[in-house]
Amino acid sequence: MTWRIILQLALSGLSIGSIYALVGLALVLPFKASGIVNFAQGEIVTFGAYLALILSGLGLPYLAVVPLVLVGAAMFGMATERLLIRPIANQPEFTLVIVTFAIGFVIKAAIRLHWQDNTFSIDAPFVGPPLVLGALRLNPAYLVFILSTVVVVAALFLFFGYSKFGKAMRATALDPIAAKLMGIRIGSVFSAAWALSTMLGAFVGLLLAPVIGINPEIGHLILKGLVAAVIGGFSSLGGAVVGGLLLGLLETYAGAFFGATFKNLVPFGVLILLLLLRPQGLAGASSVRRV
Amino acid sequence: MRARVLLILAGLALLAALPLVATSYYLYLVELAMINVIVAVGLNLLSGNCGQISLCNASFMGIGAYCTALCTTHFGLPTLIALPASVVVSALLGAALGYPARRLSGLYLALTTLGFLELVGIVIEEFPDYTGGIRGLKVAKPDIFGLILQSNAALYFFVFVLTIAAVVVGANVQRSRYGRAFDAVRQSPFAAQALGIPVARVKVIAFSLNAAFAGFAGGLLASVVGFIDPPEFGILTSIQHITFIVVGGLGSITGSIVGAVALTALPEALRGVQEYAELIYGLILLGTLLFLPKGLVGLVARLEMLRPAKPLTEPPAKPPAKEPAYGAS
Amino acid sequence: MFGKGLRGALWAAVVLGAFFGVFSTQARADEPGVTPDSITIGAFGPITGPAAYIGLAGRDGANLAIKEINAAGGINGRKLSMIFEDDGHSPTKALAAVKKLIDQDHVFMIFCVAGSNGTLGTIDFVRENGRVMFVSFASAPGVTWPFARNLFRGGTTEVPRYGELYAEYLHDYLKATKIAILNGREEYPKNEGDALTAQLKNWYQAAPVKRAEFNIGDKDFTPQLLEIQGADPQVIAIFGNPAEAAIAMRQAKELGMNQRFFLGTTMVDQSLLNVAKQAAEGASGFALLPLLPSSSNPEMKSWVAKWKQEYPNLPAGRPNVFDVLSYSDMYAVADALKRAGKDITTDRLIDALEATHDYRISAIASPLTFTKKHHIGNLRLQAMQVKNGEWEPVAFEGKRESDILKRYQ
Repeated sequence: MTWRIILQLALSGLSIGSIYALVGLALVLPFKASGIVNFAQGEIVTFGAYLALILSGLGLPYLAVVPLVLVGAAMFGMATERLLIRPIANQPEFTLVIVTFAIGFVIKAAIRLHWQDNTFSIDAPFVGPPLVLGALRLNPAYLVFILSTVVVVAALFLFFGYSKFGKAMRATALDPIAAKLMGIRIGSVFSAAWALSTMLGAFVGLLLAPVIGINPEIGHLILKGLVAAVIGGFSSLGGAVVGGLLLGLLETYAGAFFGATFKNLVPFGVLILLLLLRPQGLAGASSVRRV
Repeated sequence: MRARVLLILAGLALLAALPLVATSYYLYLVELAMINVIVAVGLNLLSGNCGQISLCNASFMGIGAYCTALCTTHFGLPTLIALPASVVVSALLGAALGYPARRLSGLYLALTTLGFLELVGIVIEEFPDYTGGIRGLKVAKPDIFGLILQSNAALYFFVFVLTIAAVVVGANVQRSRYGRAFDAVRQSPFAAQALGIPVARVKVIAFSLNAAFAGFAGGLLASVVGFIDPPEFGILTSIQHITFIVVGGLGSITGSIVGAVALTALPEALRGVQEYAELIYGLILLGTLLFLPKGLVGLVARLEMLRPAKPLTEPPAKPPAKEPAYGAS
Repeated sequence: MFGKGLRGALWAAVVLGAFFGVFSTQARADEPGVTPDSITIGAFGPITGPAAYIGLAGRDGANLAIKEINAAGGINGRKLSMIFEDDGHSPTKALAAVKKLIDQDHVFMIFCVAGSNGTLGTIDFVRENGRVMFVSFASAPGVTWPFARNLFRGGTTEVPRYGELYAEYLHDYLKATKIAILNGREEYPKNEGDALTAQLKNWYQAAPVKRAEFNIGDKDFTPQLLEIQGADPQVIAIFGNPAEAAIAMRQAKELGMNQRFFLGTTMVDQSLLNVAKQAAEGASGFALLPLLPSSSNPEMKSWVAKWKQEYPNLPAGRPNVFDVLSYSDMYAVADALKRAGKDITTDRLIDALEATHDYRISAIASPLTFTKKHHIGNLRLQAMQVKNGEWEPVAFEGKRESDILKRYQ
């Protein structure tokens, strides 16, 4: 094991971890706001990628496609929350779990019907030959993944910390009834949380599309996002980011040292160990949820 | 009450008479529906009654299926030993999952069960010499006291009788003090604990029972189909199992039966729309979840409420005809 | 108005009537699926789920062939028709599909365009039942061994043969002694990897210098590639899906690895080139058919034009290899049906199939041969290489005699 290999692994671990971190963020946001885990998040990523494909096919360059996809995803998120989630928000957990799964299922089925299983590709400005840094080679796309995550985290930090609406969202997450009493329209907060979450998911799809290709199965990485969120205790946004990066690094090193089977076991081994031993994660506050 | 019992008996009689008229296709579908009924009844005990969410029900079904397959095909044991063995192994593994998870609930429990599901899948694929791995595993036909169940009717009755037995056991558990303990834990674990119900132990029992039912169903599935592979017991199947009880009606045995039968029949009924079947199934599912929150059983209950109610006061009874007083003058 | 008793009796009558009506079988013809003017074939394969690209292509390719055959006069004056059922790539559902086709729809024979696991779920039932099943795509050996008179495999060859051809090509043609294998943990890629490893051992007493696995859906192969790089192979064999192989090849180049790539059959496809672009240059592999749908060969071009006219609205990526395979195999079946004569029975069809010798509809198909001893129609795969961004055929033929046929003597 040379230093070169260790650094190379670290770079790829961090970049794949950034993707996990973004998906983890997208999962924690609606959970913090309304207590619901969106199991359709994987398909939101796929949705983002295919939306990018459609817009690309109309001749738009990548940089123009990005804001359009984000807006489209936000609208989709708000519509979903209003029409499908809010009416059943009081139902038992099982119903909510199935409903979000069903939404994802319908999205994937619809995509598969129209585009079938071909892997499409779109161009992006950050896809190109690897950058050479000494003995290391870095795919520029990976750099973009890492930087995007930093930018997103910074943006969310500013939003939640300093903007009025962001503070309203935090208040609602802490105590919805008190927030309502304070005059915060929690309906809008819920919608906004879902819109943010779908935007994040679609953003991941946008990032991945030029790099790994667009096909109906790319939503499979929701499982990794779930693990990232759990490492962060599922209640901390920063925790989800750290969780994602940690997971990416763990996976990559485990795979390098112990082989693919181990690499496969890492996410779920970590998940189970954490849930059994320390469900509040590494960063999250201890919260006993309606036991 | 009597009418209800008669109706059930009539239904069972019709089901028993099915091999006389039905093709092997319909017999097979009814067998699959019956297996799903067993799954639903077991899951209902854990999730509907005890309120614990489980995303790994399909894993226990898979454990039961692979266990039965290994016992009959690898070790040559008769089915009447393989099936109980599968039930025991599943129950033990259910307890093994339930014990460490006994303090978790809601999201964290769901994710733990998800992790368990993935782990089981990995284990199945890592030992292809025993499980056939991703290539699947062939299962011998059931062997009862040396008789191989070759004919359609024999296999059908085998599954039929075992399903009735499982449903009866499930109903009895629900009515027993365990069933009441499950309900108590679901409604308020704090209150239950305060009343002296050992909440953690009850949860482990619930998990174990659920796994036993699922494992039993899995063993039957392996025997009926004759070939199993890991995707058969993945996350989609687990979600499908949850839809049985949610669409049927959480908490009631009738709901589990109705949901399992309806959602086994639905994909087959959708064969006509060819590749649109998945999309339509998903939309029907979403529609049912949104508009029938209490499930199909809840729908029936609501329709019954629409029936004109009996008046609360009885109309005055006709006074009896005046009898001539004896000895009146 | 009606007493409770009468109402109950009416309900009972309705229920019983529905029961018997719904479940009853229809009267059987002498030979099911055959009428004076039609022959009905049943078919099944995955048209929903991740494997839908197989079944949809299987169905569409077969339907195109049937349309042409009927336009040219049909089978000895009878029109050919096909009933297609989804199997969702699940053995449980595949068995339901076959039971429906045979017991409910009374088809004359089954044309199977399912994957291996779906097909294997139905094998026992079809064996017992006796209807002819012609398997077009599934490469599991269980289709043809143990031998059954009514089971045939068409254009796809079986997995051990992949291993034989791969091993011979790598060892004798590319002269590679140090081979690394990277395969996905899914049925087909694992089969290919295992078959290659087994055959390297059998024929050349060699072993791969490294064997690494990845999970379907993986986006990063750095750990596996670094492991392989450490073993210093001459050729890296990748078995998996085009999406993953493309990423792996690109990452390998980024890591400075310049070994030749050898790819499994699912990746010898245009879609790989779309995603991998430059990284795939020089890669070689075997295709299931002599020509890919993207080939510039005139016979293939006119076939694709014909296909596009029939299915104008399908997305990129269609027609794929399975469209061509299914189309060709349906013609092979039709040819045998014709030779079975006007007085057609299952036995006569089996005899006609077993008499098939080097049949193919055109250069787009592999020639099929069946005998009374074995029903493996094709033992050939086409070697190909990526030259200037296109898959071009390579003039390599397996010269060593296949071990597979030995057990059918």
